[in-house]
Amino acid sequence: MNKRNHLFYLQLALTLMTCAFLLVPVIQSVLAGVTVNYFVGIKSGLTLRWLGEVWRLYSDTIFRSIGLGLACLVVDLIAGIPAAYVMVKTRSRFTRLLEEFLVMPLAIPGLAIALAILISYGWWTDFRSSWLIILVGHVIFTLPFMIRSVIAVMTAINMEELEEGAASLGAGFPKRFVGVVIPNVLSGILAGSLMVFTLSIGEFNLTWMLHTPFTKTLPVGLADSYASMRLEIGSAYTITFFFMIIPLLMAMQWVSRPRTGRAATEDNTEQARMENQSQLSETTAPADAAASQAARRPGTSIRLTRCAKTFPGGTRALESLDLEVAAGETVVILGPSGCGKTTLLRIIAGLESPDEGGGIFFNEDEVTAIPIEKRNVGMVFQSYALFPNMDVADNIAYGLKVRGDEQDKIRARVDEMLAMMQIEELRGRPINQLSGGQKQRVALARAIAVRPRVLLLDEPLTALDAKLRDVLRVEIDLLLRSIGITAVYVTHDQAEAMALGDRIVVMSKGRIAQIGSPRDVYFKPANRFVADFIGTVNCIESKMADRCLTFPGGCIPVDDLEGVDVTEGGMLNIFFRPEHATVVEAGQGHFQAKVLSAFFLGDRTRLLVNGDTPEPLKVEAPGRQAFRKGETVDILLDLEALFTLSEA
Amino acid sequence: MQKKNRFILVALFMPVAVIFMAFFILPMLRLTLASATGPEGLGLYLEMLTTRRYLETLLYTVGLSVAVTVATLIIAGITGVFLQRNDFTGKHLLVAMLTFPLAFPGVVVGFMIILLAGRQGLIGLLTKMATGDKLVLAYSMTGLFLGYLYFSIPRVITTVMATAEKIDLSLEEAARSLGASTWRVVRDVLIPALMPGLISSGAICFATSMGAFGTAFTLATDIDVLPIVIYTEFTLSANIAMASALSITLGLITWGALYLARTAAGGTLAASG
Repeated sequence: MNKRNHLFYLQLALTLMTCAFLLVPVIQSVLAGVTVNYFVGIKSGLTLRWLGEVWRLYSDTIFRSIGLGLACLVVDLIAGIPAAYVMVKTRSRFTRLLEEFLVMPLAIPGLAIALAILISYGWWTDFRSSWLIILVGHVIFTLPFMIRSVIAVMTAINMEELEEGAASLGAGFPKRFVGVVIPNVLSGILAGSLMVFTLSIGEFNLTWMLHTPFTKTLPVGLADSYASMRLEIGSAYTITFFFMIIPLLMAMQWVSRPRTGRAATEDNTEQARMENQSQLSETTAPADAAASQAARRPGTSIRLTRCAKTFPGGTRALESLDLEVAAGETVVILGPSGCGKTTLLRIIAGLESPDEGGGIFFNEDEVTAIPIEKRNVGMVFQSYALFPNMDVADNIAYGLKVRGDEQDKIRARVDEMLAMMQIEELRGRPINQLSGGQKQRVALARAIAVRPRVLLLDEPLTALDAKLRDVLRVEIDLLLRSIGITAVYVTHDQAEAMALGDRIVVMSKGRIAQIGSPRDVYFKPANRFVADFIGTVNCIESKMADRCLTFPGGCIPVDDLEGVDVTEGGMLNIFFRPEHATVVEAGQGHFQAKVLSAFFLGDRTRLLVNGDTPEPLKVEAPGRQAFRKGETVDILLDLEALFTLSEA
Repeated sequence: MQKKNRFILVALFMPVAVIFMAFFILPMLRLTLASATGPEGLGLYLEMLTTRRYLETLLYTVGLSVAVTVATLIIAGITGVFLQRNDFTGKHLLVAMLTFPLAFPGVVVGFMIILLAGRQGLIGLLTKMATGDKLVLAYSMTGLFLGYLYFSIPRVITTVMATAEKIDLSLEEAARSLGASTWRVVRDVLIPALMPGLISSGAICFATSMGAFGTAFTLATDIDVLPIVIYTEFTLSANIAMASALSITLGLITWGALYLARTAAGGTLAASG
């Protein structure tokens, strides 16, 4: 802990000295501005004469500065917010160049900018003699601050996903921009506005060059008053300036202080988690009754034909592929990160278009050219993309509002959804006070509320902890079954895929590696990648000799195996899962191996043994038996579960 | 992305594009042109570098800015970390006081220095009481230095505090667990962690000092800094070409400093007022 030693007091002394350096002249000016005689000091008595004098001489500059500041703010808002939006949306080399340009007015001294403007437009007398030329200078100087402030917030709130969320619920661009983007970047707009106004009020360098005797601003007036060598007037004027900027500075501090709401969320999470678990312990399915009431429409099938995706820059995210999802079916797209699974989902959603030649069909309707907001899909995003500017009920109602449904109908549907997800008590909660699991439920409710044709889920459980993930996996499964909607679910978690999918689409490097039921994919993997990715697999290299597959340590008579067709002397790789190789008593196994290490898992023991194979084999031993390192064990293979693969 | 979207994006960007093109990029080009199309052409830049008055001013300005930057980084670095790390009564007030001058225009800063160290200033009063001689610093290089320090400190303190807040305390704890003394921790862990913030705020501090006009204008010192020379060339001597050339030199130096800092710090420029 920080002890208050000499070091502490040294630093404190330096801090206080710095503070004195900054503050003493401020106090001096305040005193000088309200005392009768500066030289005698406060003894001479207090007076408001100088402030009155300032008002008489310079009030016009004060009003002009406020007017200029407001005008500058309006221009910055109108031009700056859309520009920030564009710059966040289009991340490219071009945008980087633009950013560079936007920094330049900060880097180039105001004097130089003013000189440039004067040289270019000084001939235009009407413009030169009006306050507009000062406004132009202020806008150039302040606009970058506004844009940067808004960009910072837009990046922090993950604006793009929020917008995609709104689009998936059917909101077109104007609705998204006004209803979702602007309300959520208000803090950035506010901070930028205060900054711009303060900067404009205090701007001197540009203004001094651009002003005329009839367009003096506050800082210009200040400079005049200082030059007049009347210390008391200058001081009184400075006080006036202080009074103008103090509220602005306080507002800026207030805007930039950390929000207490965020801290509250942390406390809430624990409590919310408890709620979630108690909900589980009852293990009620998400209200079956309510679900069955939700109209079970005949489902929509999805068909993709020759869909490929190449990103600008040449990255090939998806090779040309065909895929069919039957009506009401739940298909899980499974694969490691970067395999193209999310791209595939975004193509189905309408967030990305496939390369030329690809087609997407919902039933028989081609939807390839239809943007997401018209496609009527429900989408659940990895980060949920709940709108922080609306509460739970408003989030769920958003898609219905966008569609222009009647108030009564919307209310009824929101009630139904809250009941179905068992989150009635969260109705009026702000989004930042929800736990992860609660957010997940709201996101699901919002996506289903509009009765979408298909439901698309992009790694919806990744952001949750393991226990909650298991709970919600069961809930999602029950929900999908009960409403019978066509669903495409993207995940990298094989356990999730096994539990949820009617069929699993395993993807690798932009291609489909295998499509099949969870059982097929597990027991009959199409290739080495699938076998490795789903579950654990062992491989033994064997050689055919005397109608026996021989390998170092043992052999399997080929007559015991079905469908193995290898010529005498040929090589064959045999694959098996750990649970299909068990430790047995000496002399009863297919081969012997040395124990490298043993992991006691409770119900069984997982052994790592050296079967003279390139990689150690993983086998299992049931029950209480303990193993020593270096011990030799006999291993029996379940011959029916052995499989071979076409490619190594 | 659909074609319609691209159209919307272009439309949204138009206002900024128009404003910047008309009132920044074109004027800057005109300025560059004006500096190169005088009677001497590009020889003007040579004249600038060989005329004693201009060269001296340039060196003075750069020297002053560097000195101010170094002093500010030391003072604000220590106080910023101190304020971030320690809690005591009145801290918030202290922070508010230290950042109050953030919004002062240069002219006000100049006036503050006159009040502090001018002919009727506090320092003069105190030194007269102590030694009998009145010490007047405001109208010399020292006055300029104090003035630039005055507007630089608040800006750098805010950046340092923001950077210090993000430092992972466990790094320092790890260093201490390995036996490092306080000074070693500061040297090996704290300063490297603060570096990005120090570089970017230092660059901004340098750039602002280079271009500061109001403070020098109010102090009306006997030593000219570059912005003052540009101003007098333009208004009094009506030497537009030389004023342009000096402006461009000044702009290139400050922009170059900021660019280098951003490349070195890797991050983006902290927007400070």
